Amino acid sequence: MHSPELLKGTLQTILLKVLKDNGRMYGYEITQRVKELSAERILLTEGALYPTLHKLEAEGMLKTEVVTIGKRVRKYYSLTAEGKSLVKERVNELIAFIKTMGNVLQVELN
Amino acid sequence: MPEAWGMWLAAFMQLTNDHIDYIIKDLNYRGIVADGIQEELIDHICSGVEMEMSKGKKFIDAYHHILKSFGHTGGLRETQKKVIQSENNKSRNMLKNYFTIAMRNLRKHSFYTFINVAGLSVGLAICFIILLFVINETSYDKHFENGDRIYRTKSEIKFGGNHYNMLYAPPILASALVAEYPEVEAAIRFRERGSYLVKRNVDNIKEGNVIWTDRDFFKVFSIPVIAGNAETALAEPNTIAISEKIAEKYFPGENALGQTLILDNKMNMKITAIYKTLPQNTHFHFDILISMEGLDEAKRLVWYSNNFQTYLLLRSGADAKQLESKFTELVVKNAMPQLAEVLGADFTMEKFIAAGNKMEYTLQPLSDIHLKSSLQGEFEPGFDMAYVYLFVAVALFILMIACINFMNLSTARSANRAKEVGIRKVMGSFRSHLMRQFLTESILLTFASILLALGIAYLLLPFFNQLSLRTLSIPFNQPMLYLIIIAAALGVGLLAGIYPSFFLSAFKPVNVLKGNVSLGMKSGFIRSALVVFQFTISISLVIGTLAVNRQLNYIQNKKLGFNKDQVIVIEDAYALGTNRTPFKDEIMRSGKMENATMTGFLPVSGTWRSDNPWWVEGRDPAVQENMVSIQNWRIDYDYIKTMGMNIKEGRDFSRDFPSDSSAVIINEAALKSFRFDGDPIGSKIQSFGSGPDGGPDKDHPISLTVVGIAENFHFESLKQNVSPLMMELSKRAEGPISFRFQSQNAKEIIQLLEVKWKELAPGQPFNYYFLDERFGTMYASEMRLGKIFGIFSMIAIVIACLGLFALTSFTAEQRMKEIGIRKVLGASISSIVLLLSKELGKLVLIAFVLAAPLAWYGIDWWLKDYTYKTEIGFGLYVIAGVAAFLIAWLTMSFQSFKAANSDPVKSLRSE
Repeated sequence: MHSPELLKGTLQTILLKVLKDNGRMYGYEITQRVKELSAERILLTEGALYPTLHKLEAEGMLKTEVVTIGKRVRKYYSLTAEGKSLVKERVNELIAFIKTMGNVLQVELN
Repeated sequence: MPEAWGMWLAAFMQLTNDHIDYIIKDLNYRGIVADGIQEELIDHICSGVEMEMSKGKKFIDAYHHILKSFGHTGGLRETQKKVIQSENNKSRNMLKNYFTIAMRNLRKHSFYTFINVAGLSVGLAICFIILLFVINETSYDKHFENGDRIYRTKSEIKFGGNHYNMLYAPPILASALVAEYPEVEAAIRFRERGSYLVKRNVDNIKEGNVIWTDRDFFKVFSIPVIAGNAETALAEPNTIAISEKIAEKYFPGENALGQTLILDNKMNMKITAIYKTLPQNTHFHFDILISMEGLDEAKRLVWYSNNFQTYLLLRSGADAKQLESKFTELVVKNAMPQLAEVLGADFTMEKFIAAGNKMEYTLQPLSDIHLKSSLQGEFEPGFDMAYVYLFVAVALFILMIACINFMNLSTARSANRAKEVGIRKVMGSFRSHLMRQFLTESILLTFASILLALGIAYLLLPFFNQLSLRTLSIPFNQPMLYLIIIAAALGVGLLAGIYPSFFLSAFKPVNVLKGNVSLGMKSGFIRSALVVFQFTISISLVIGTLAVNRQLNYIQNKKLGFNKDQVIVIEDAYALGTNRTPFKDEIMRSGKMENATMTGFLPVSGTWRSDNPWWVEGRDPAVQENMVSIQNWRIDYDYIKTMGMNIKEGRDFSRDFPSDSSAVIINEAALKSFRFDGDPIGSKIQSFGSGPDGGPDKDHPISLTVVGIAENFHFESLKQNVSPLMMELSKRAEGPISFRFQSQNAKEIIQLLEVKWKELAPGQPFNYYFLDERFGTMYASEMRLGKIFGIFSMIAIVIACLGLFALTSFTAEQRMKEIGIRKVLGASISSIVLLLSKELGKLVLIAFVLAAPLAWYGIDWWLKDYTYKTEIGFGLYVIAGVAAFLIAWLTMSFQSFKAANSDPVKSLRSE
């Protein structure tokens, strides 16, 4: 499992990309999806997930809709137009970063 | 994919409602309550639990597994906190921004900030004190449980040329009311007999708040009784109930119940109850209640003597108005036959009324006593509701003057801020942002002022208490205070800030940035109107204050018909016992005194009074026009000399005429009322003798021969006319002893008297007063009013001038270049000063024109209470107007001179 310290700077990028690929998602679904994609090596903690989601929402990157299921209320997140344009930028940035890290650490990345 | 499968499966493994309820409750218990995150977390946890359960776990294990991934309660809360923070960030940033900019602006213009804060805080402090005062005044007697059912009787009696509106009622009224009307649950009477000397063992102490009352006192007034039985406390003669204060004074650390106090050296009174000392906001503060059972006077069944204040407790649901309407019938049935017996057989109710007479009883609710009643027989002076309104109005006016300063300075400085507004708008500020910015500034300013005002009020309260005779304090322990502070900061901040914020935020950026707007002094109409308003109020207050002071001066210096100065009155002379005359004689022998007299009938209110009907001998007393109701004073040979009254006709009493024991001296008012047929000197007047029961006896009239006519002298407040008065020689020596002294050294006189007193009346308290001081207390409330208004009007004008000062300095600043050019072209300093103060001077003039009629109306209203009033001539208005104008002009000229004196090189160099 990857350390949360390493994940810190990449969390926003992960959320934006996952939402771009899957459209509308709710919080728990996002954790499960990331867990699945990373073969259980990235476990998003709720303590980091929700504040980040709310922050992105406040910044206008995400929009939400609320669906009531019986006694429960489910909040779905999806990207706004602004958010969509941000995703590519963030992903490219991260890829460039990983490449740089490879050079710095003198390892071959495939 | 197993995970996707799991999720799919989970969708079928729906949690039951019970499970969800359990989770909601548990999360609530752990403190997850914030809107917007609570529901989201519940859903998240539910989904997780479903997932775990689909793997075969039990609900409770699954739930705890998920909680663990959150980090239990701590982790949950941490998540909640972070979410809330991220949400708050945005608006808090804006607020912080408003705040920072406001602080910077206020600091940058510290001169204007100072003027605003100074004016606002003083205005608010005044408002705050007045608020406390008004709250106190309206809280009187509210603490009595049955307060809404307590009434007292008022008597209106018109007879023999006299008209009384008083609280004194006949001794029989209380019992008659209880007997006749079932809606009266209880009735009690009070009888004032002045102060008493009280002692436990040896030393006497003078107690003023002593009253005789009936046994039902505690039934009517719900005063907590600490010791003793409230119901039976005053049932026996020679018993008293005392306040806790008195109990602690005479029996410190002991149980006072059942002990004895001696009143006036002769009455042994057993203490049967101790009650809680009455709070300040009660219309009486009796410390010793004496049982009425021991008072013979109270047992008389007469209607023609009025000495008892009567209070009623009505049954719940009883209608006071309806009860009141039955009183006429009561008077006709019970009082009239008695009057007929006294006044003559052919007396009838019809004749009585036809002659313009009146005998009417009405009810006054307890709640009206403090603010709406000032009748003869009040226990303590109340306060006038009209003055409460007046105080509130003045306080609000002062606050408004301060707020106007704020408005005027903000809009006047608008030119300086116009650029700021323009740039902000260009950068994308909405009008609402700007308004919020300006409102933040004014609210911030107000808040600072309020804190300062609280401090000022705290420092001023002792002085105000001294002036108003109250014991107000700031209720720091009440949460209401803090609510009011916050509400006031918002309210006053909005009041002061709303106009400038509308005004400033309306600027068009294009014009402003081009430099087209020099709104500074131009858009002056509203500002001018506000300045006029400020000065109208200030000048009105100044005129009012001057008028009040002039009237008070007039009263103090009016020729009273006697000489109030240099007279000292020794009270409680009865404590001397048989040494009364030796005391007087020995003092006279010292040579320090001019004259001395012994009587309680003195020409200041609050001393003895007694009135009876008299008629000219030979006329029929049954004919009502012949009766003169007249003050009947019993004095001694030296009275007129001691008091310095003038005999207009005839002569003073003299020891050379033994016949003077049946002589009388009347005043001019009495002369007019009696309408003597021939020479008044030597005429005889008659009245009823007194029968064995103390009631009037018409078969044995007494007659007196008029030997002198005294010039009218004022023996009551100048609010009243001088009423008819007769003086005869007293049969016995009684009452206080008054000395007229020559020495300017009052201390020496007091010492002389005190030494002799201690010698002849050991163990008795020595009490004295000067006649002129007592005379002054008749007008004490007016004096206080005059002072309070003086202070108010001063504050109002100071705040108004502060504003004027700032406005002038601003104008001068704005016209710096103009002044420079004028000077270069040869303008003189005086012409520039004139130029600068002309505009504002005009406004003050307009204000004066508006204020004069306003003040005239107010003064007229106030003076209508006085029978003797001073002329408020045109001169007073001129004085006030000139004073206001001068103050305003001085304020302005300071700044104007500064501007006019400045070096034109400096102001023009920058071009």
